[in-house]
Amino acid sequence: MTTTSIAHLPSRARWSIARLLALLAGCAVGWAAIATLCVMVGSTGIGWPSDPAIRTLRLEWTLVASLVGAALALAGVTYQAVLRNPLSDPYLLGVSSGAALSVFLWSMTAVTAFQYLSQQAAAFTGGILTLVIVFSLAQRRGRLEPLTLLLVGVIVNAINGALFLLLFHVSRSQDLAKAFRFLAGALQQDLSITQIALVAATFAISLFILLGLAGQLNISMLSESEAQSLGVRIHRLRWVAMIIASLVTASAMAISGPIGFVGLVCPHVGRLIVGNDQRRLLPVATALGAILLAIADAASRYMGQVPVGVLTGFLGGPFFLVLLWRSRHAGARS
Amino acid sequence: MTPLLQAVHLNFAYTDPPVLHDVSLDLYPGQVVALIGPNGSGKSTLIKLLCGLLHGTGQILLENRPLPRWRKRLLARRVAYLPQNPSHDPADRVADVLRLGRACYWAAFGLETEHDLRVADQVAELLQLTNLLDRRMDELSGGQRQRVFIGRCLVQEPAMLLLDEPNTFLDLKHQVDVLKLLQNLAHEHSLAVLMASHDLNLAGAFADQLLLMSDGRITARGPTADVLRPDLIEQAYGLPMQELTSGAHRMLIPRL
Repeated sequence: MTTTSIAHLPSRARWSIARLLALLAGCAVGWAAIATLCVMVGSTGIGWPSDPAIRTLRLEWTLVASLVGAALALAGVTYQAVLRNPLSDPYLLGVSSGAALSVFLWSMTAVTAFQYLSQQAAAFTGGILTLVIVFSLAQRRGRLEPLTLLLVGVIVNAINGALFLLLFHVSRSQDLAKAFRFLAGALQQDLSITQIALVAATFAISLFILLGLAGQLNISMLSESEAQSLGVRIHRLRWVAMIIASLVTASAMAISGPIGFVGLVCPHVGRLIVGNDQRRLLPVATALGAILLAIADAASRYMGQVPVGVLTGFLGGPFFLVLLWRSRHAGARS
Repeated sequence: MTPLLQAVHLNFAYTDPPVLHDVSLDLYPGQVVALIGPNGSGKSTLIKLLCGLLHGTGQILLENRPLPRWRKRLLARRVAYLPQNPSHDPADRVADVLRLGRACYWAAFGLETEHDLRVADQVAELLQLTNLLDRRMDELSGGQRQRVFIGRCLVQEPAMLLLDEPNTFLDLKHQVDVLKLLQNLAHEHSLAVLMASHDLNLAGAFADQLLLMSDGRITARGPTADVLRPDLIEQAYGLPMQELTSGAHRMLIPRL
């Protein structure tokens, strides 16, 4: 068949506000359907809970899991686009190692300054401090180069890891259980409504800004000179996108610990579904992140509180492989 | 005729020594100008300066307005740049690559208008890419790919095309096709075209003006007959040259 115009190509129709809203609505409906099913999953069996208290509790857990998953996936898509590296994940710049170190310090009774903070605030502070260090070291004359940023992130992660081990070695503290629970990447169940609201607000604002920048994120994947010649202020875009993605990661991580895989795999799964156009990929990958972590959280409940980070790997990995296998076979047939 | 772009006394250095010395030139609509000269003579640097990717001393006026005073988005609607090795995702479809050229017109959220798609369609038709719109970039030949990248530039609806060696990696037929296309765009659509080229004879055959660069300076300029002279080329390249004539056509080849 002869193609006559771009508008006639499947899934390449004009990107209009109606299409954006339709996609967002579709993502929201898909997530809501899965989330409802997740609320039905309990530790003793599957079924709609008759007790309103249990229903509310499960709903809250599902919402928190979805929020964290969506935030990590949103950050993952942004990191991969700006750093032009498909292996980038939201913890690449040291947010997780900085937060882990901070929570460890917080759990040591000797460090009194941290005692005035909640564990979540300590994690957020550690993550943000690490980001400030990484961005300060990586920037050169106010410019961020993707490769330098990646290298500095890897180095700072390694230093944080070494510091963590050193502190662990010399620590005489016996009460480290909380720090280790945090490191296992478990969604916390004793969060205040203010803490959840803060993370939700950070996520909503970040999603809005990054969706606004999605067109430019498409261009950021070209070379620097091409991006500039297409009218994109690439250095400003890198700063804005990276800071927002890092903030949303740090805020999600503060209430969940370092949950791996979601930020890395959801963008790839999204890409297999809607392609590499960031305008479509951002909302779809974000919804996938919410869905994946809601399912993982429900499965964790059902399986007796297995760490959710372990389940994201078990659920997301095979799903990703199936999609990859199907897309390769579809490509070979066409 | 008023020049579209005027560059006056341009100097530029990455570090030391300077790469460009006191370069001045005018570019007019409807004209193909070829930049020739040996490697390291400053061709690519000059092109990057002219589209605002590098900043040196001297003055560049685009439509009588200093280049630094142009907003990036508005500049992209007047000047399109094609680097030596344009980047792309192999999985991208031709239609996606063409549409990226409209980025300087997109609203927030990357929203497009009907006009954006219409322009991309018209360019696809002009470059005979219509039947390739749904093809992946890694399924195209080198010549087709280069046409897509030129198409991405044209989708910007620019007044000027700055091309850094657009014939790189192309076989002879595709080189001629691309040069014919550029000549047609300049003459039929009143675009100003400036391209760097290593093929002296092809550049001479298709360009209206040649600029010969050597050691960061323009050492000769004018119509082909005035610039493609054995003595000037020998001086620039440090290679003995000889002239061959076939009917009305003149060619320069190295004397081996």
